[in-house]
Amino acid sequence: MALPRWFPLARNEARILLTSKGPWALAALLVLWAYRPSYIAWDGLGPDMTVGFVQTTATIVLPLGALLLSYRSIVGERRSGSLKFVLGLPLTRTDVLVGKVLGRSVGIAVPVTVSASALGLIGLVRFGLFSPLRFLAVLLATHLYVLVLVSLATAVSAVTTSTVRATGVVFGVVFLVLTVFWKLIASRIYSAVSGQAANPYDAPADGLLFALLRVSPDRSYRVLTNWILGVGNSGASYDAVITKLQTPTSISVFVVEAAFETTPVPFYLHEVTGFVVLVVWLVVPLGVARYLFERGDLV
Amino acid sequence: MTTPAIETEGLSKRYGETVALERLDLSVSRGEVFGFLGPNGAGKSTTINLLLNYAKPTEGTASVLGYDPWNEVVECHRRVGILPDRYDTYDGLSARRHLQLVRDTKRATDDPEALLERVGLADAVDQPAGEFSQGMEQRLALAMSLVGEPDLLVLDEPFTGLDPHGVALVRDVVAAEAERGATVFFSSHVLGQVQVVCDRVGILHRGRLVDVGSLADLRSKLDLGDDATVEDVFVDLTADSVRSGEGVR
Ligand SMILES: Nc1ncnc2c1ncn2[C@@H]1O[C@H](COP(=O)(O)OP(=O)(O)OP(=O)(O)O)[C@@H](O)[C@H]1O
Ligand SMILES: [Mg+2]
Repeated sequence: MALPRWFPLARNEARILLTSKGPWALAALLVLWAYRPSYIAWDGLGPDMTVGFVQTTATIVLPLGALLLSYRSIVGERRSGSLKFVLGLPLTRTDVLVGKVLGRSVGIAVPVTVSASALGLIGLVRFGLFSPLRFLAVLLATHLYVLVLVSLATAVSAVTTSTVRATGVVFGVVFLVLTVFWKLIASRIYSAVSGQAANPYDAPADGLLFALLRVSPDRSYRVLTNWILGVGNSGASYDAVITKLQTPTSISVFVVEAAFETTPVPFYLHEVTGFVVLVVWLVVPLGVARYLFERGDLV
Repeated sequence: MTTPAIETEGLSKRYGETVALERLDLSVSRGEVFGFLGPNGAGKSTTINLLLNYAKPTEGTASVLGYDPWNEVVECHRRVGILPDRYDTYDGLSARRHLQLVRDTKRATDDPEALLERVGLADAVDQPAGEFSQGMEQRLALAMSLVGEPDLLVLDEPFTGLDPHGVALVRDVVAAEAERGATVFFSSHVLGQVQVVCDRVGILHRGRLVDVGSLADLRSKLDLGDDATVEDVFVDLTADSVRSGEGVR
């Protein structure tokens, strides 16, 4: 079977990352960041708490790292001129985008897998055997999330001509708006649209609010992985969801089951939407970027 | 092998108000060594960028080895060797890795070491390109253009940054590639070398092709004596920019 045209480029991109220090520093950081045993998580999950650690890697640190390692991939090469060699290869510009996204994603997914394995090993020794299937499923979901982040950063990188603007969009929009502050922003949008307060201690049983909340790839990733963990239908972290469902008024977290106690849950809040939203974030921005990147001048 | 190596019709490129290239009609035959000359800012790199799909034309058509350079990029670039201007190599990757990337994407079988030896980098095969001097980088870029015995070599100022040995190397490589049957299209300001290796030259001035032909043709057409050099021809054809110093718009 012939390898795809973009394969050597993707391999090259992965190699550039894997032979540099950044991704390995990220791997070490992820382990330190995500190893957080707690009584409440142990109560809710038992040994599967270890699988929860993998979900925690994808909070804040992983998005920041993945975006940092990919936002310059095209605009930086365009500025320096190394893109000219890549564009001179027998590849369409779409091939170039695909090769960059997949290669960079592998270059980040490998250290992420190493961190997850380290967390798995520590968890296995300290807390006993967890469900290997759940572990694998959460790890795969994390890989999908890495792919989404790299694809978003590459899409921005492909359509901007200045590194400063790429930095602004990637960190201002993707990281701050969609990752760090999305819960706050979605609540504000909801209040403005519905005229109702979105109080996280006692959230209204309104599908719109919960749908808005899971628009962000960050929260969708957690909806998906909380589903795999079986803790509840929410874009919050697994331990927060467990806490919320035990003592609902103690914590400012949005969980579908806590809000829809008496009313039926709308079908579009099914956990599978977490996966769907991630796929949309993977495909749509890159599709738009491809359209523009195929047409423009690149020198 | 009947289609020309390069053919353009009415090829134009404007950047806002700037007319970088104005209705270029050019034909370069297979096996020819063609020198593309002109003052700074004349539009040489613009032409090359268009032919390599780095940029899209405002108007006009072109064919490269019989392919549409903007819509048949894969087929076209598989047979073209490219040495761009103002490029950068990957600092962290060795010379070998650079050549492997080109070779594997072109599905060629060249030995990176042999190519690097050919451009005088036999000692630097596994050195990261970030440690290269300017001339070494240019040699690496030249080696990358030679991967897969291309039918057409497009070289934008191949002499940039090279010492006299390097200049002689490029000249010999161009001659050897032409001997092999390849077409060579290159831009340059090193007119002494152009005179030695080119079958024909085209002179671009302010985005327009002001003349094209062999040196002998141009000499007789311009009424310059038998011993007139390419430099004399160049100065004669682009005199207004030299006198007023307005070559760069
Ligand atoms: N990306 C761009 N944006 C705006 N103007 C451009 C761009 N690229 C080239 N130009 C303009 O087009 C004209 C032709 O430039 P070009 O680089 O083709 O010249 P050249 O013949 O290669 O010159 P040199 O000998 O200095 O390399 C110049 O006036 C230049 O300013
Ligand atoms: Mg130029």
